[in-house]
Amino acid sequence: MQENYLAKWLNNELTDTELAEFKKSDEYASYIKIKEASSNLEAPAFNIDAAWNEHKNRRIVEESKTIQLKPYKRFLQLAAAVAVLLVASYFYLGTLDQSISTQYAENKEVILPDTSEVLLNAESSVSYSEKNWDKERNISLEGEAYFKVAKGKRFTVATDNGTVAVLGTQFNVENRNNFFEVTCFEGLVRVTYNNKETKLTAGTSFLVIDGKEIAVNGPENTAPSWINKESSFNSIPLSYVFNEFQRQHNVTVETKNIDTKQLFTGTFSNTNINLALQSISVPTQIQYTLEGNKVVFYAKNAE
Amino acid sequence: MNNKEQNNVCKEEVFSALFSSHSKTVFNYIYYKYGNEEKAYDAVQEAFVKLWENCSKVAPPKAKSYVYTIANNLYLNVIKAEKVRFKHRDKVATTTNESPEFLMEENQFKEKLEAALDSLPENQRTTFLLNRIDGKKYKEIAEMEGVSVKAIEKRMHLALKSLREKIDGI
Repeated sequence: MQENYLAKWLNNELTDTELAEFKKSDEYASYIKIKEASSNLEAPAFNIDAAWNEHKNRRIVEESKTIQLKPYKRFLQLAAAVAVLLVASYFYLGTLDQSISTQYAENKEVILPDTSEVLLNAESSVSYSEKNWDKERNISLEGEAYFKVAKGKRFTVATDNGTVAVLGTQFNVENRNNFFEVTCFEGLVRVTYNNKETKLTAGTSFLVIDGKEIAVNGPENTAPSWINKESSFNSIPLSYVFNEFQRQHNVTVETKNIDTKQLFTGTFSNTNINLALQSISVPTQIQYTLEGNKVVFYAKNAE
Repeated sequence: MNNKEQNNVCKEEVFSALFSSHSKTVFNYIYYKYGNEEKAYDAVQEAFVKLWENCSKVAPPKAKSYVYTIANNLYLNVIKAEKVRFKHRDKVATTTNESPEFLMEENQFKEKLEAALDSLPENQRTTFLLNRIDGKKYKEIAEMEGVSVKAIEKRMHLALKSLREKIDGI
């Protein structure tokens, strides 16, 4: 009898002689019974359709799981990116300069880290590095500002026209288009213009108009006039006077038949526009009209 | 290329065909092993969800054995086999012209068979029942179990032998 003959017998693989021999054995009847009875066995019921439906449901659950994860992952990615940006910008902004500026008809007072004061006239701006202030007192200026510098290291005001360096003093710097004026009210101020250094003692001024140095008398007051809501001029061309007028009163100025190069000496109010207009028109004998935000100056004899 | 796509397991028709032809066998297979209907049902679900998730990675000819392997591995060394129970198809229930003695003897034999099946080693019982109930060829069972045809024949032989010995009370 061959190996595993019972398995072969079930599969009808026995040779005739083997089968005949097997049939003669005592156990044959029992094996026949087992063969028949086992083929009538049934496994527990299994509903394929129900199982298929459940499979479909599970798929949805599994899929929705993955869908839920995705936006969360994206959110995390986004949050990480934002966090990096925030941290980076925090450090970046820390190194950026502080900047303060004023609009037309606006003045501002800035207290620097060493308690030095800066008074900003209309339409001006200063910027400085708060972080490096202890190392170097550097401040850049556009427009006009009055400085009350606390005693300490060299204090430098940088403008496009020139730099002003002091140790501890009070001075005014005006740096407009083609107009650069430094007035020292206290202590000693060193002005560097075109690589040329000029020392200003208290009560003296340094003026450059259109690249030309102009000798001027020093101020009569102990602080610039605009601190007291007035604008003072000492032999200044009318065009610069009108520019200052625009800044202080937030109006536009037009001129007709007027030589704006003629020099003007005088003072106008920064608060009362009518008074200011008279302050200009009476000594120069120029007529004016005021309509809304527009002032027109015109020559008297042109009418 | 086109042919490949048509036979992709991810295709709904291919997948549902696989499900309808194999889910019942997976169920029986696990049931013969552990005698637990609920676990067998879960194994079917688990195996086919896994197949769906990995449908792009499983080639259609491998899908069958993939499903059996997943189902089989699910409970490997985890649960103990319980008592396996079966229904018995009443062959000629309509004509009850057999003698009461014969019927009683018949019922006794069925009980003995069940008890004997229950005491078989799990691999012999599974092989025997896959062949007897599901009509699986030795070659198919060998593929499912991952063994040679000869090993299956050996299991069949031993299963029959010990069933007879148990039933005849040797």
